[in-house]
Amino acid sequence: MPAAVALLDRLGRPGDIRLGSARPETIAYLPTGLAVLDEVLGGGLPRGRITELAGARSTGRTGLACAIAAAATRAGETIAWVDPADALEPEAAAAAGIALARLLWVRPRSVSDACRAAEILLGAGGFGLVVLDLGLSRARSCTARGSEVQGRTAEAERSPHSARAPHGPPESPSWPRLARAAERTRSTLLVVAPRREAGTFAALGLELGARRVCWSGGPGRLMLLEGIDAHVTVARSRVGRPGQALVVRQACA
Amino acid sequence: MPRIACLLVPDLPIAAACRADPDLAGRPLALSAGTGTHAPIVAAAAAARACGVRVGHTVAQALAIAADLVVRPRDETAERSAVRALVDVAVSLASRIEAAADGAVFLDAAGAAHLVPSEAGLATALVARAARVGLAARAAVGASMTVARLAALHATEVVPAGTELGFLAPLPLACLAPPPAIAATLERWGIRRLGDLARLPVAEVATRLGPAGAALVRAARGEDERPLAPQALGGPVEEAIDLEYALDALEPLLFVLRGLVERAVARVGLEGIGIARLGLALGLEDRSRDQRTVPLAAPTRDVKTLLTCLRVALEARPPRAAVERVVLAAVPEAVRAAQIGLFTPPGPSPERLATTLARLAALCGAERVGAPAVVDSHRPGAAGVAPFTLGGAPAPPSANGCRLVVRALRPPRPVEVFADRGRPDFVRGEGLGGRVVGAAGPWRVVGEWWSDGAFARDYYDLELSDGGLYRCYRDDGRWFVDGVYD
Repeated sequence: MPAAVALLDRLGRPGDIRLGSARPETIAYLPTGLAVLDEVLGGGLPRGRITELAGARSTGRTGLACAIAAAATRAGETIAWVDPADALEPEAAAAAGIALARLLWVRPRSVSDACRAAEILLGAGGFGLVVLDLGLSRARSCTARGSEVQGRTAEAERSPHSARAPHGPPESPSWPRLARAAERTRSTLLVVAPRREAGTFAALGLELGARRVCWSGGPGRLMLLEGIDAHVTVARSRVGRPGQALVVRQACA
Repeated sequence: MPRIACLLVPDLPIAAACRADPDLAGRPLALSAGTGTHAPIVAAAAAARACGVRVGHTVAQALAIAADLVVRPRDETAERSAVRALVDVAVSLASRIEAAADGAVFLDAAGAAHLVPSEAGLATALVARAARVGLAARAAVGASMTVARLAALHATEVVPAGTELGFLAPLPLACLAPPPAIAATLERWGIRRLGDLARLPVAEVATRLGPAGAALVRAARGEDERPLAPQALGGPVEEAIDLEYALDALEPLLFVLRGLVERAVARVGLEGIGIARLGLALGLEDRSRDQRTVPLAAPTRDVKTLLTCLRVALEARPPRAAVERVVLAAVPEAVRAAQIGLFTPPGPSPERLATTLARLAALCGAERVGAPAVVDSHRPGAAGVAPFTLGGAPAPPSANGCRLVVRALRPPRPVEVFADRGRPDFVRGEGLGGRVVGAAGPWRVVGEWWSDGAFARDYYDLELSDGGLYRCYRDDGRWFVDGVYD
């Protein structure tokens, strides 16, 4: 009995805790650089949390991610871009305003390695923004139950780095670990993917839907691609109001 | 009056063997000169000596005396590594170092005065740092190398200036290890202590016993034959081991490498720097050597990271035969420093960044981690990677807003394009396909005509009915997609 009493004293007795008595957590934000989006999100992307940027091909996900990365480097942040598809064009990134000297570009050979690389970067601390770009991946990569090694490129299958993966231990859950690592080091993890996959581990989910392609010129005249109007919807928000939508114009360089 | 510190390890062969294999510590261990039951014992640990094992016994005799005796062949490679580790300990506290042939290390104590407050503190620091590299050493400070060495052997930390003769006088003559003939003569003279020997006139002893006798008298007075001769030290930190049997699997080899890496990291850590590059030399069973260099993205002291890099290197190109000898050379380099801005967000700390870069390089390959660099080329999609360092200038303020960005497809994907009156009408390829609902182009892009990589392409921007907006080109009649607007 004395041991049980001591344990109750240490952990707290039933009824000691009153709902609503906890002080609300102060959340810091990483501005996106787009005033209209910052206004909808209440200041930007929540720091120390996972934000998802989901949408189909050519809906403007990468352009929006580059705009956010550019705003971060303008603010003096050191950022990282995990790019398993080797899809980043340095020239396009520089044109979007990213300071390339402040960007660590990591090109893992598979999606599962990308999740591990993101975890390493988040665990290191000091990176204000880590972009995990699963943009054109064909498979879910970091499910809450475990990482499935899919969407692997032919190059990765041949590489010695990936050769050990099929024989290695099964992947442990990634989203909870990524969320914990981000929270511990106050880094923002921005996941760019075809669909939202992090579930409840994401504090913010932005979906890019039907977009409009803008062409200049017309029949009989020279046509040029001017840009797209990307439709952004706040699909999930733990810190604000979900359901709000806006249009972001993305112009060609 | 100079002040000299001496750092030495009693029973160096035993200490080196225990350092290479920590499981041997505390066990009755004897080292033999070679293999076989007739090989003589050349060193015995205290536990073995307590059982009655003596240097000069054969292995068979020693095992007959102590059945639980552990006998290992003497490993001179491990002894050299241990001596180098002692030198590293000395280098971490002083700049004028001399390594004696028997493994003792002497250093100019005056050079360490700004690092440690007292001579006793210097001796304590030397012993503590030696323990960090796996050696139970002794250290002492005296007026000469002879005094410092004898003080270290007799567990005295400091012999104050002017008290040398008093310290040396009661010590037995045997601690100077005189030649047997001279020792017998001195025994006949009734000289048994250093104090007795020091009182003899040097010239008279030289007349009767020769130069060796005169040197003994000077040593008994605490005088050196020559002053400290500092050596130029530096270069990679080497750790080596001769294996008892050849290893033909990776995991046991990595187990051996872990010990070498841990010891190398401990030595490098004495100076607060990291390892920038690893050299691995493997002596193979077929009498050949396998040498390789493992580059690291940044200097690090993270054992796990270094082992991962070694594993990746060995998996990529396994040795062609079983491994009998391992030599690890760690090239030390200062961890990169960075100035933190007062008004900018703190970035990763330099050492954490170094470790992170090394871990990422081990995971992805060193050439796949870095800062993106714009290549001086007109070829669309060209990309380069530069080493990532802290402190890059922030992006200038810009009012560009949001840009439409192209995701590169590397390598470009071949597609089939069906044309209607010369205009693309339908596109079909891996992972994409549909009717063209919007198109712009063509634009001719020509470049590198002066080299083998010449290209001439007609580019189009195509919006397909599958929802994608693609950057396509026609090259020599064939069509490709090399980017997706996203």
